[in-house]
Amino acid sequence: MCGIAGIYAYHYAANAIDRAELRRIRDHMVARGPDGVGDWYSQDERVGLGHCRLTIIDLSERGAQPMMSANGKLAVTFNGEIYNYRQLRASLETRGHVFRTQTDTEVLLHLYAEKGEEMVHDLRGMFAFGLWDADKRALLLARDPYGIKPLYYADDGWTLRFASQVKALLAAGKVSRCPEPAGWVGFCLFGSVPEPFTTYQEIRALPAGSTLWVDRVGPHETRQYFSIADTYCRAEAASSPINDEDQQHDARDALLDSVRHHLVADVPVGAFLSSGIDSGALVGLMRDAGQRDIQTVTVAFEEFRGRSEDEAPLAAEIAERYGTRHTTRIVTEEEFWNDLPRILAAMDQPTIDGLNTWFVSKAARELGLKVAISGLGGDELFGGYPSFRDVPLWVRTLALPGRIPGLGEVTRFLLTGVFAQSLNPKATGLLKYGGSFAGAYFLRRGLFMPWELQAVIGAEIARLGLRRLGPIRHIETVLKPRPKTSFGKVAVLESSMYMRNQLLRDTDWASMAHSLEVRVPLVDVKLLSQLASITARNGSRSKHLLANSPRTPLPLKVVERPKTGFTTPIQSWLQRDNRIQEWRKVPSLAANKCAWARRWAFQVSAAIAAA
Amino acid sequence: MARSGLRILALVTDGFGGSGGIAQYNRDFLSALARCDRVGDVIVLPRLSSRSVGALPNGVQQLRAVENRLAYSVAALWTAIKHQPFDLVFCGHLFMAPLAAIIARALRAPLWVQVHGIEAWCEPSGLKRRSVESATIITSVSRYTRRRLLEWVGIEPARVKVLPNTVDPQYQPGPKPAYLLERHAAGGKKVLVTVSRLDNSEQYKGHDRVIRTLPGVLSQHPDTIYLIVGDGDDRPRLESLAVECGVAKNVQFTGLVPPQELPDYFRVADVFVMPSMGEGFGIVFLQAMATGVRVIAGNRDGSRDPLCDGTLGTLVDPENCEDLASAILAALDNPAHTGDRANRFKPDLFREHLNALNQCFSVQNGGALAALPSPERAVSVSGAFSSFRNDQQCQ
Repeated sequence: MCGIAGIYAYHYAANAIDRAELRRIRDHMVARGPDGVGDWYSQDERVGLGHCRLTIIDLSERGAQPMMSANGKLAVTFNGEIYNYRQLRASLETRGHVFRTQTDTEVLLHLYAEKGEEMVHDLRGMFAFGLWDADKRALLLARDPYGIKPLYYADDGWTLRFASQVKALLAAGKVSRCPEPAGWVGFCLFGSVPEPFTTYQEIRALPAGSTLWVDRVGPHETRQYFSIADTYCRAEAASSPINDEDQQHDARDALLDSVRHHLVADVPVGAFLSSGIDSGALVGLMRDAGQRDIQTVTVAFEEFRGRSEDEAPLAAEIAERYGTRHTTRIVTEEEFWNDLPRILAAMDQPTIDGLNTWFVSKAARELGLKVAISGLGGDELFGGYPSFRDVPLWVRTLALPGRIPGLGEVTRFLLTGVFAQSLNPKATGLLKYGGSFAGAYFLRRGLFMPWELQAVIGAEIARLGLRRLGPIRHIETVLKPRPKTSFGKVAVLESSMYMRNQLLRDTDWASMAHSLEVRVPLVDVKLLSQLASITARNGSRSKHLLANSPRTPLPLKVVERPKTGFTTPIQSWLQRDNRIQEWRKVPSLAANKCAWARRWAFQVSAAIAAA
Repeated sequence: MARSGLRILALVTDGFGGSGGIAQYNRDFLSALARCDRVGDVIVLPRLSSRSVGALPNGVQQLRAVENRLAYSVAALWTAIKHQPFDLVFCGHLFMAPLAAIIARALRAPLWVQVHGIEAWCEPSGLKRRSVESATIITSVSRYTRRRLLEWVGIEPARVKVLPNTVDPQYQPGPKPAYLLERHAAGGKKVLVTVSRLDNSEQYKGHDRVIRTLPGVLSQHPDTIYLIVGDGDDRPRLESLAVECGVAKNVQFTGLVPPQELPDYFRVADVFVMPSMGEGFGIVFLQAMATGVRVIAGNRDGSRDPLCDGTLGTLVDPENCEDLASAILAALDNPAHTGDRANRFKPDLFREHLNALNQCFSVQNGGALAALPSPERAVSVSGAFSSFRNDQQCQ
């Protein structure tokens, strides 16, 4: 787990690369990899790769990056973990490849030498890498199927720069800070910036599950090699066991296999623990996979002590059941205010979330952990969100009226006019959007509605951004090909929008700020392909498959507890404190009924834009 | 005689025989294009006529210019029908993009749009924008123009490439020509030169800013003269400004100069200075650097590119007179000619890059098109044009 960076002066007119610039970009990410730094330059100084390392596999110096192939023709800088690297290595060795290190990084070099770009299909894990092929004089950028690890690039028409973080690309001062309206509009609509956009025009995210070639003509178009939607479509067409027992058996095998793979490390692997099924079941499966000594950590708040929101007691019960070394870390209001400037500085792109991950990662690092398992992705995989119920319901109800041309727009206009401040803006858009999956999902997850943007970010940015992003069109693109079942459609939407742009990205910056690698066994392509046909059949009742998987069952209270969102008192701290006040200047945000997330979003964007 | 290979229709404002930066760029582009791998004929339809077209490169055929806008559109459509099939439509100016887009669509050929400078910096009409968005590839002369274009255009940034101006081999270092020293009484004097048109509606080139710094420059180098090469309706304003600043004696307006004298006007200079705020690229910087003259340019526009971000010359904030004055003085104090500094913009590099772009975009697309069974292709193209033919018959 690390930070990667690179510069390629691909155009004949471009200046040779500036080593100091590459180091500034790399060193901005030192928290991602505090254990060592490295850089590599081609002889003609047209290409440079940089790396900062968090040592987890092969702790020796031989694992340092950027790493070259034995013949010097390939160089790679890599962030992430390839969980099946031992199998890949063994099979490469049978075909005559000779290895010099015990790292997964070296596997990338050999696999590329053998298969070229198609190698990405063989990788199981989370990754982002830049690989220089001297024979082709071309740079290959690649990112894992779900987009767990980030990769951003900036092309000015002469020189391409890439890095794990947006702010790192800006750190050396050569990348334009011109704002990208589509990124800002996306943030205001969704609460996170939808890829491939960032809030800067010149900087783009390499989309999840994509590769990008850069050669003498610059970047080519990105090529998507994996699609979650496609996986669901194929799963729906495939047969799955009908018998409950067989389904449970298959699910347990697949889950245990994923957990086992996610434990590969030369340092201890801990776990985040809440009171929910996802993290609890994973800890149970870690035991089943043979890990005896498990450090678990839970974040709790003084304000919640003795109340139903408090996660600590149930988490402690799970920990006791599985015999982990357990720590409950109390976060106070004072600590929150102390950390807030650092949180905003670490926040790579504006987001309304990530605060919980910040504190639980901080706690894990205080315990000496470098790697922690998280239950992220369980609700997407097993249909745990209310959207799995609401979105299909809205679509069924509103599909017909939604088809009457203009009705939605007129209704919205009238309702907004009559009820001005008193009606939830989303309610006024129900008829306009609720009739399609993309529209209904937009309503379910939306933060602001398009017609509110003008007041929040200004008319011109709103106009340009809405045109370029096309929010509904943007959501539709992830639904290609289109799964038949409602469950499949919502699972694709949640995994490709909310989880990718919000949960995974927030987990990356908030954990890397503490030099902690978070692993997500429930976000795994192999697991998805094994489970999709079963979950699509079971719909939103699928969670029991996860709950019943550990050999030692979860405490009954955990399984039977009604689903609650993870809540924190942070909202009330922000509400009552006078330290941040900018939102009061916008009338719609100052209104009594305004949701706190909207005010927080405004606050965050003000802080990020000012930085 | 027709050559085998890709057939390209080029719709341009100025072609062979035209004058100015865009005409020069088009000539360089079309000549290089005709020499690209797998390219057959390039048929050029210019808008503005010129007196002498001269010899055309092998493979390029230039049709007679048609100035009237409507007549040009008709001529372009007619050319597309008459000379079809085409594998690529090249559009040399943003203003022609709607016409070129319609023709490209009808021909089912990829569209290549070229953008230069200020015309692409602000959002145009919706029609022009959508036409540009239909392009397979857009080339921009500079990184700056590319960035400004990407502010409003909805297209994959990977399709917008930079293809900088190139510089003609006639621009090379040489001694100060005696006939010009004599003509401008410049013997033994320091010479500042700007070469550009003098357009009253633009006024962004920065002559006025140079004139304002002259009193300061003269206080250190009293023997300095400023040659303003080029002509236009902004000249009276600049003349009175020179009087106002008390430097009229030191500012000389050459008017238009014959093209063959232009390299000498760079060679006579100690410093080429043009603190412009509106350059798409600024080919004159390349010409100056190729003759070995020190250059000073503004840092807010496409000028950054010929100077390679200040590696090959001095970039100044064009509106900061002190910056400009000290840059001029520093250059005058260190007057040695620098040798050809425009090496990295040589025509062979330009051609190689254009060839690579053509391989990457139009050949791939054209290749896909050419891969269709030929009868189907013939039907589709003629089908697309049957409507045009019918319209014409009705008229």
